[in-house]
Amino acid sequence: MNIIVCVKQVQDPETPASQFRVDEAAKKVIPPPGIPPTVNQYDANAIEAAVQLKEQHGGRITVISLGKDTARDAIKQALSMGCDAGLLIDDPAFEDADAYQTANVLAAAIKSVGDYDLILCGRQASDWDQAQVPQGLAELLGIPSVTPVAGIEVTGTTLRVKRLIEDGYEVLEVPMPALLAVSNEANQPRYPTLKGIMAAARAKVDVKSAADLGVNAVGRKVQLLRLYVPKVESQIEWITGETPEEQAANLARRLREERVI
Amino acid sequence: MPSPLLNYLDWELSPAQQSVQRTVRAFVEEEALPLIADCFEAGRFPKELIPRLGALGLLGPTIPLDGPGADATSAGLICQELERGDSALRSFASVQGSLVMYPIWRYGSDEQKARYLPGMASGTIVGCFGLTEHDHGSDPARMETRAYPDGDGWVLNGVKMWITNAPLADVALIWAKVDEEGRDVVRGFLVEAGSPGYRVNEVHHKLSLRASATGEIVLEDCRVPGDAILPGVRGMRGPLSCLTEARFGIAFGVVGAAMACYESALEYAKSREQWGRPIAGFQLTQAKLVDALEWITQGQLVAYQLGRLKDAGRLTPQQVSLAKRANCRMALEVARSMRSILAGNGILLAYPVFRHMVNLETVFTYEGTHEIHTLILGADITGLEAYRG
Repeated sequence: MNIIVCVKQVQDPETPASQFRVDEAAKKVIPPPGIPPTVNQYDANAIEAAVQLKEQHGGRITVISLGKDTARDAIKQALSMGCDAGLLIDDPAFEDADAYQTANVLAAAIKSVGDYDLILCGRQASDWDQAQVPQGLAELLGIPSVTPVAGIEVTGTTLRVKRLIEDGYEVLEVPMPALLAVSNEANQPRYPTLKGIMAAARAKVDVKSAADLGVNAVGRKVQLLRLYVPKVESQIEWITGETPEEQAANLARRLREERVI
Repeated sequence: MPSPLLNYLDWELSPAQQSVQRTVRAFVEEEALPLIADCFEAGRFPKELIPRLGALGLLGPTIPLDGPGADATSAGLICQELERGDSALRSFASVQGSLVMYPIWRYGSDEQKARYLPGMASGTIVGCFGLTEHDHGSDPARMETRAYPDGDGWVLNGVKMWITNAPLADVALIWAKVDEEGRDVVRGFLVEAGSPGYRVNEVHHKLSLRASATGEIVLEDCRVPGDAILPGVRGMRGPLSCLTEARFGIAFGVVGAAMACYESALEYAKSREQWGRPIAGFQLTQAKLVDALEWITQGQLVAYQLGRLKDAGRLTPQQVSLAKRANCRMALEVARSMRSILAGNGILLAYPVFRHMVNLETVFTYEGTHEIHTLILGADITGLEAYRG
């Protein structure tokens, strides 16, 4: 079974809010010093799902990431958890790629890798939370996709997929090849072993530019107009009254005035 | 998701080293910390973690078994992160890896390596290191334990004390004197639990390292086969080379304990209010926190340089003594100071600080006391050995 996992390196979501800065003029997030970026957590669930499927059915897992050179670390983490090969698409033209451009270049990268049975992605990335790339990628490749996925079983050439829905889940049968966008309900990502980390440190990650893949950074669908940290203002108003009953009545009146109730 | 790494001077560890640190941190935070306070209170080593330590490759990480071993800094970071959980975890791993697996790998026969190393790496075999005796701590060369050949085997007599992991151990590396052509020579023996004449008494009522299993090993005409002797080393060089390995791990480990104390006190100080404002806003508290950050940063830099020297093959035992001495004192001072920020709450097991503080009293003393490392360094810089009669 040939599996492709798409991973994204994101700013560590544990970064303290006090260290989160935005350059409003450049419309960019300023990376906090001393806090290395990390693998998007849902992508870690996708990696774990892939490694479990490989353990059950055999096969080979290729990890693909679009990002700067530092994203090599994200690929190495996937390798340390049990994936087999890595491909980094490093191209400055795609530094601020939107979901469509990202899906487009990933589709080209996947075609360059060769035959596959299954593509796994995280359901969304914790930096922008758009949840657009997996479905766009499936569309561009002309394969079915399911999101968000909480469980995967393989029987022959068919997947039985547990898909999260409001208040529960549904089970779908999907023919392969297919793309699944994995949610955290699917598994608990394993820790890489020391042996895995050392092997990943020695492993070579292929690096390609968009030109190598025959795509360019056109067709942008989203324009970022403004990027800023919203100001959260809170005001405290003390509700007075002679008795608890009067205080409660005054509170109810204020809430109604503010259209809260 | 593990907590962020304390890296105030923004030094660069390799991606693999960062990955090692994050992995061990996540393991400790998710699997060890939930147990450790109860283990400390109950005086119990968390044995259930041994297979996990093995599966993650944290036992004897530098020893090449099936693939090259880890670099020294990665091995040090494992110690740092384990001890950020509790000194008992790092002590277990130090004994297993540095004090038993290392000498078997370095001085053992092929048969001994095959018999013990894979199981010790996976955690199915636990080892301990019997050097110290009741009456011989800093002067181990005066040990009284002896071995003599008997038929096709050996017979050992003596008592070893303060042996970490002894109550759990499947195999004990016992250092004993052997008469070789009229001279006493220290040799290592791999004595398996259950050997006739081998007995372990657990040390109870400890007020430090309560989550570590400590024992006394009694050898009464203890009979072992002829191939139990470590063939590759003779004299005190054997145990001392192991201690240099373990002290290297301690120099990293105690930085982790200090980090845990600092992080706990910082968080506490920011949320604890007196006179209507967080105590972190008071100058005396800030001075304590800044001192701690500065000392920890210095300790990290000492440890990381030690790692680079070890990988370059240039590390001397005296440099290890300097780092062990400096960082143990640093960690103990950080722990005591941070405890004072937590004030009354600081004595509770709900916070990690007091537990680390009392653990560090042991770490300050074992693997060469603070004073002995002072004399090792004193001898190195003056050429005069104060500890020789």
